[in-house]
Formats: sequence, structure tokens, C-alpha cells
Amino acid sequence: METLNFLLQGFAVALTPEHLMFAAIGAILGTLIGALPGLGPANGVAILIPLAFSLGLSPAASLIMLTSVYAGAMYGGRISSILLNIPGDEPAMMTTLDGYPMAMKGKAAEALAISAIASFIGSLLATIGLIILAPILARFALHFGAAEYFALFALAFATLGGITGKNQVKTIVAACLGLMIATVGVDISTGNQRYTFDILELYEGVDFIIAIVGLFAVSELLFFIEKHVGEGLAAAKLNKLNLKMSDILHVIPTSLRGSVLGFISGVLPGAGASLGSFVSYTLEKRVVGSKGQFGEGDPRGVAAPEAGNNAAANGALVPMLTLGVPGSGTTAVLLAMLISLNIQPGPMLFTQNAELVWGVIAALLVGNLMLLALNIPMIGLFVKLLSIPPKYLMPVVTLVAAVGIYSISNSALDLYFMVGFGLAGYVLRKLEVPLVPVILGMLLGPEMELNLRHALAISDGDWTALFSSGLSLTIWSLAFLGLALPYIVGPILRRRMENARARLEVPEEGD
Amino acid sequence: MIGDRILGILMLLLAVSYGWEASQFPEPFGGAEAVGPETFPLLLAVILGVSSLYLIVKPDQDQPWPGVRTLLDLGFVLAVLAIFSAMLAPVGFVISTTLMVGVLCWRMGARPLPSVLTGVSSAVVVYLLFNFVLELHLPAGILKLS
Repeated sequence: METLNFLLQGFAVALTPEHLMFAAIGAILGTLIGALPGLGPANGVAILIPLAFSLGLSPAASLIMLTSVYAGAMYGGRISSILLNIPGDEPAMMTTLDGYPMAMKGKAAEALAISAIASFIGSLLATIGLIILAPILARFALHFGAAEYFALFALAFATLGGITGKNQVKTIVAACLGLMIATVGVDISTGNQRYTFDILELYEGVDFIIAIVGLFAVSELLFFIEKHVGEGLAAAKLNKLNLKMSDILHVIPTSLRGSVLGFISGVLPGAGASLGSFVSYTLEKRVVGSKGQFGEGDPRGVAAPEAGNNAAANGALVPMLTLGVPGSGTTAVLLAMLISLNIQPGPMLFTQNAELVWGVIAALLVGNLMLLALNIPMIGLFVKLLSIPPKYLMPVVTLVAAVGIYSISNSALDLYFMVGFGLAGYVLRKLEVPLVPVILGMLLGPEMELNLRHALAISDGDWTALFSSGLSLTIWSLAFLGLALPYIVGPILRRRMENARARLEVPEEGD
Repeated sequence: MIGDRILGILMLLLAVSYGWEASQFPEPFGGAEAVGPETFPLLLAVILGVSSLYLIVKPDQDQPWPGVRTLLDLGFVLAVLAIFSAMLAPVGFVISTTLMVGVLCWRMGARPLPSVLTGVSSAVVVYLLFNFVLELHLPAGILKLS
């Protein structure tokens, strides 16, 4: 009941005209970002943070706008999967399996509509899951001491590579790099200077927003240049929508199953949206069995992964909001936004900033309704966007990113840093070192160090204090599992995901 | 193979110098305690050092690196971005943006005329949007009136 009260208060925040407007702007921008080639959700949110920041929006308004962008980008990613067989982002990969065959049969509009409905169901159920689960987890997390938090941060890094991660050592290297950058600046506990080399601009440390924009947006530009893919994609044709009520009812059970699975994999550390959509699709195939025509354009094969990845995206907000530990790139970027608004996520968030959190959760519900309403009539416009050639798009995106960074403090030095991070991001990506742990390290570094210090100060320097309670031992063993499991089950899962795609591509070549 | 080994060696160097620097931190005001400003950095240095040794011993297969021409292209783009950063305040937003966006479009394979048009229009639109709608002031530079 208490939760319901909070939620009603949240709606009071979310339904003010100003906030509704920001939710709508966010939803549209998000879908654009998801639909445009080369702009994933993490990228899009990263570019918009400095803008929201320098516009002086209130915390509630910027959070509402950017979570809508996040939700919208998850919607947008599916458009190119279905029409062109090119996933807009990684989680949308499974959608190509049945979405593209449907489009080939001249049912592109139906596939898009069904995926919009499945996405809506997925997000809706996951938001309800978030409403139920988050306060419970937040209450539980109040028992965490410094040692448990330190272990939890380690767990976050250990599972970040994901169960399908290739080289865990590279994840650790990336995390160390991020954490090291986070130590640059004046030490908050003692006032000592660390790694500042007497450069005044480094006293406050390196701004993680600059790092995020550089690593994601600028390195993406460099990749586009390397691959010489300046030309636009072939314009996709869209048929007239002919969707009957029975078609919608037909995919509802699938969407419900996919949502539950997706939500679970979103909440669990190390799983994420890609695995959510994969699990939903494979399970659905097994449940329906030979009665379905999976891989040949079964609408259920579109609904399952879409419900799964949208549910996972919202599920991933649970650990981010309640523990301050994000499980994916995009939630890491959302965490960056919270920290830059001076809001420390974690269990206290639900008591100290109750109005804000519930406002955002309510905004997610409202945003989802908006997205559904936008997506069915406006799909024609989004489809046109697909054929914008990257040779014009990427320079303008880079411009917007640079302007955002510049507007934070009007300093050219920030722009040099952005370019530097872009180069570093390019080289690291070439070496298959993941970038998200770098970002997460920069974000979590100060908190992680603080908790280590608290834990060790209490125990008077005894390092075994980090492993003394049952709870911390549990977290450490989970972290260890998170590091080890990818070596055991990772290759199997990866092979299955690749097989699923290979099966699709073979008949296509025969055409 | 070689890429990972180089990365490993660089990371090892970083770990050692970072750790050495940490051990040189002056003792904080109020005396040394069980945990000081150097504890966490030292921990990181050890972890990075061990991981980089692993990379040197067991490197992954390399991704294909681009040829010299593409590398020059990439360097050129980075230089354009750096020049843009340097020009922004003294020369002004509209001119530097026109140059940056125009050159980038051209490097990505657009013809000169559409590149210039994209550059000019994005510069003017963003400038007007920021200065008059969003009220964030971008530098006018040498185009400043009065």
C-alpha cells in the first residue's frame, strides 16, 4: 500500500505539463536515436546528458527526459532489424530472425506494429516488476556495510563482461583503467593531490561525461571512417498496415512469457538485454514447437525478443537505482547522469529522494504509453530516417556531442580531452577491450575507494574484514562465478547465438 | 597477437609507474593510518599488473588493422577535431563548425558542395537554436556584430 501511495505521488510529478512535454521530447529523440544508424542507446543518452545539464533542467525533468530517451531507443532499435535485417543495436539482433522474413513477405508494417505492442507489454510488465522489486531490494540493501558494498562493486565489474563475454581479463584491464582515471585529482578524505602533476585543471579530476562522449561518440565516428560506410542504406518500403485484433491476441501470451524472462535477465547482473531477448526467443520456440514457423516470419518470433529486450532494459534499472550498481552500458550512462545531478543512487535514494524516484518510475509508465501511441502512426517517418546517409549524419552528431561538452564549462581543454578519449576508445575497441568497464570504473571509483577505506578503518587495516560476513562472502563468490562462468558456458551460448543467425543468413544467400 | 602483447606491455608500464607514484605520495596531514590515499591505487596497480602479464602471455587473435591510407584518414579527422576545438573560441562557432562538419562530410565520401551546405546549415541552425531558443551562448568570434 505504501508503494502505491508513493506511485501516486510519482504520477503527480510525472503528469505535470512540463514533465509530460519532456517525456514526449525524450521519447521522440530516443526513437530517432535508436532508429538512426550508428547511434545506440548508450551513445544517445551520453550525447544528451551535457545538454540537459547545461540547460539547467531540474533533476526530475532531466531524469524524466533521459529515461524516456532510453526507453525510446530500445523501441527504435528494432526498425532497421525488421526492415533491413541490420540490428540497430545488439539487443535487437534476435528480432531480425523473424522480423526480416516477415518484411520480405510484405508484412513489414505488421511486424513493426507487433513489435511495438510486444515492446510495450515488455516495458509495462518490467516497470511493474521494478515497482514491486525495487523497494524490497532497497530495504534489503540497507543491511549492507562498507565491506559488502566494496564486494558489490567488485561483483559489478566481474559480471559486466556478461555471460557471453569473450575475454574477462580485458574487462578487468578496462575496469582498472577507469578506476585509475577516477583516482586523479584531490583525494577527498585527506586532501592529498594524486596524479595531478600540478596541472590545475586536473585537481577536480577528469569529468566522466567528457570521457563517455569521447569514448562512445567520437570513436564511433572513427569506426565509420575506417569502414568507409558513408552511403545510406537502401530505402525500405513499407506496406499498408493490416492488423486484426486476433493477430494482436495471438502474440499476447508470447509477449507475457518474453517479458518475464527478459525482466529476470535484466535484473540479474551480467545478463542484460541481449541475453534477455535471446532467452525469450529460444524458449518461445521451444514452447510453441513445431506449430510455429520460427525463422520464416512467425509474428511470435518478433514479439518474444522484443518483449524480452524491453523488459530487460527496464529490469536493469532495478540494480542501478537500488544499489547504485548498473549492469549495462546504458544504465551506466544513466548512473553518470544521476551522479552529475548530485543524486547518489543506492538504497537511500528511495527514502531521501522518494519523490524523484517515483516520479521517474511513473514517467516510465507514461513514456511507454506515449511510445506506443507514437510508434504506430509515426512509423513512416522513422523508416525514412533509416536512409539518411551516415556521411552527413555522423559529422552533425559529432558536432552536437562537441557542443554539449563545450557548453558544460566553455573550455577548449574539455574538447581536447574528448578527442583524446575518442582516440583511446577507438584503439581499445580495435583491441576488443570493452569500454563500458572504463566508464563504470570512473563512475564507481570514488565510492568504491571510500567503502574500502571505511571497511579497513573499522577493522584497523585488517584486510580479512572484507570477507568476514556471510553476506560479503556470498557476494564475493558470485563475483568469482561471474568471472569464471563465461569461460565455461560462454562458448556454448555464443555458438548458439551465432548459429541462430547463421541459419537465417544461409537461405538468404540462395535467393 | 601482437596487438594484445603491446597493450599488455603498455599496461604493465602504466601499472608500475602508477603504483610507484602512489608509493611516493606524501604522508597525509595528521599522520599515517591503516589506509591512506595510496592504498586503493596500489591495489589497482597490482591487479592491472597481473592482468597485463596475462595479456602478454596469452594474447587473443588480432582484429585486422586498417591500412596506411585509412590510418592517415583517421589521423586527419582527429586533427580536424583538434583544430575545431582550438578555433572555436577565437574564430567563432559558425566558421569553425562549417569547416569541421564540411571537412568531415567530405572525408566520409560526400561531394564538396553538399558537404559545404551541410556544414553551413548545421552551423547556423545549431547556433541560432542555442543562442536564441536554449539561451546557451556559443562564441560568436570574428562574426560578432557591433
